[in-house]
Amino acid sequence: MLQVEGLSVSYGPVTALDGVSLAVSKGECVALLGSNGAGKTTLLRTISGLVKARLGSVSLDGKAIDGMSPENRVRKGLCHVPERRRIFPGLTVLENLEVATAPWRRFGASIATDLDRVFELFPRLRERRPQYGWSLSGGEQQMLAIGRALMSRPSVLLLDEPSLGLAPLLAEEVYARLSEISAMGVTMLLVEQNTAMALSVASRGYVLEHGHVVLAGASTDLITNPRVREAYLGA
Amino acid sequence: MSAQVLQLAINALAAGCIYAVVALSVEIAYESTGVVNFAAGQLVTAGALIGLSAVAYTKFNFLPAYLLVIVGMSMIGIVFLICVYLPLRRQSVLTIVIGTVGVGIFIQNVMLLTWGPLPKSVRSPMGSGAIKFGDVSVSLHVLYVIGVTALLIIGMYLLLYRSSLGRQFRATAQDPEAATLMGIRVKQLYALNWILVCVLSGIAGLLFAPMWLVDVTSGDNIGLKAFAAIMIGGFGSVPGAILGGIIVGAIEIFGAFYVSSAFKDALVFALMFLFLLVRPQGIFGERAADRA
Ligand SMILES: Nc1ncnc2c1ncn2[C@@H]1O[C@H](COP(=O)(O)OP(=O)(O)OP(=O)(O)O)[C@@H](O)[C@H]1O
Ligand SMILES: [Mg+2]
Repeated sequence: MLQVEGLSVSYGPVTALDGVSLAVSKGECVALLGSNGAGKTTLLRTISGLVKARLGSVSLDGKAIDGMSPENRVRKGLCHVPERRRIFPGLTVLENLEVATAPWRRFGASIATDLDRVFELFPRLRERRPQYGWSLSGGEQQMLAIGRALMSRPSVLLLDEPSLGLAPLLAEEVYARLSEISAMGVTMLLVEQNTAMALSVASRGYVLEHGHVVLAGASTDLITNPRVREAYLGA
Repeated sequence: MSAQVLQLAINALAAGCIYAVVALSVEIAYESTGVVNFAAGQLVTAGALIGLSAVAYTKFNFLPAYLLVIVGMSMIGIVFLICVYLPLRRQSVLTIVIGTVGVGIFIQNVMLLTWGPLPKSVRSPMGSGAIKFGDVSVSLHVLYVIGVTALLIIGMYLLLYRSSLGRQFRATAQDPEAATLMGIRVKQLYALNWILVCVLSGIAGLLFAPMWLVDVTSGDNIGLKAFAAIMIGGFGSVPGAILGGIIVGAIEIFGAFYVSSAFKDALVFALMFLFLLVRPQGIFGERAADRA
């Protein structure tokens, strides 16, 4: 479904990604692990088209999308939930959700079923509908960021550290919802520093270090891998 | 209230409406791009002068003439987007602000070459009639200015706060990158922004022209008053821009009558400085809601 081949990205003299390849098949949830500055965010931003690659290619459903604008990638079903949530602070919860229907909504089309789907996953958002984005707690903002992405009717979700800055209990709740979304058939590429949590939802994972994929495998293998345990699980 | 005060109040409201429309255009550009548009005054003049020529060209058919003005101002907006805003977008906001100053000077010189330096009088679509309410006589044009401004404000409100296009517009203003990630066509909304800014200024030009003589510098003063209006109303607040405009109009008209017409501008800027000293955030202040 989503394929990344030999991707290299530089910011001026800094090389952030160096020949990264990975693949996510339809319906799969794949974790992308790595410490600070490994290049995880850069990889997601390149997949969603915000950053141009120096070398390599990204393809969706077997077709290269390298020349495509980020707006059009969303229309192809690729939706990126950015690091630090980035919800619209001066829009209400409801407006944040409505605005994300721009890629598919035609005049007069109803968004009721899409809203219901989000409110069923995150009942808290239903209560907070008229509240401004800035007034939400960190956990609510993360739920809104995920809900907003769902409103664009994605087939592939890219998630950048959804547990960032959340209390453990909230992070667990967010992950429970993510596994529900995965069960709905949405393909996911999940960036996370919280390795144990990510591997509990993902079936496979890649480990990124200094812009290289250094390890790849099934979650069950990664979680017992001595290198992963030492570097990312503090064991 | 005496008839005279009422008469002055209506004229003050009409002048205030013009400042309010220009202040609204500056405010929209600021809210959606962070750019303070210093070309506002020259855009007002452009609207007035294009209106003058369009009205003459259509032989006093005001409706098609005004449509021509709207098309012309939209084109200025698109040229500004393509030649100034998009190339400078990655630079600091200050660079773009200086760009708007340059655009203002450019527009002024083009106007000087096209229309010459002499002041011109412009007709109102309402003619020169007036209606009397008892002792108060109000020109039809003044009522027209107030009516058009009210419609513009309502229209802008519906567009920005009650339509899905407005939601996309505000989302882009608050976080253009996140808007891009939600599939919103950010560049088109920037185009809409600069078209709105230019069309609003141009309409302000059409409204003021029949009240005062028009030459290539007459918008400059209106632009400055609009900035004073924004300072008084509060930078970052749309209601503030509108209220500030009306306050500036009131000070000007009542100041000219009760103090001296030589001091009317000084009074406006004195109030602006007073606000800068005592309440720099203006009457409504900056809404924390839209900034994060
Ligand atoms: N806009 C930028 N300009 C220059 N260098 C950048 C930029 N963004 C990222 N980098 C550099 O690229 C490298 C990879 O950064 P990236 O943000 O992709 O890492 P990350 O794995 O997401 O880290 P974190 O876990 O801290 O979010 C880092 O060395 C970083 O300093
Ligand atoms: Mg990151």
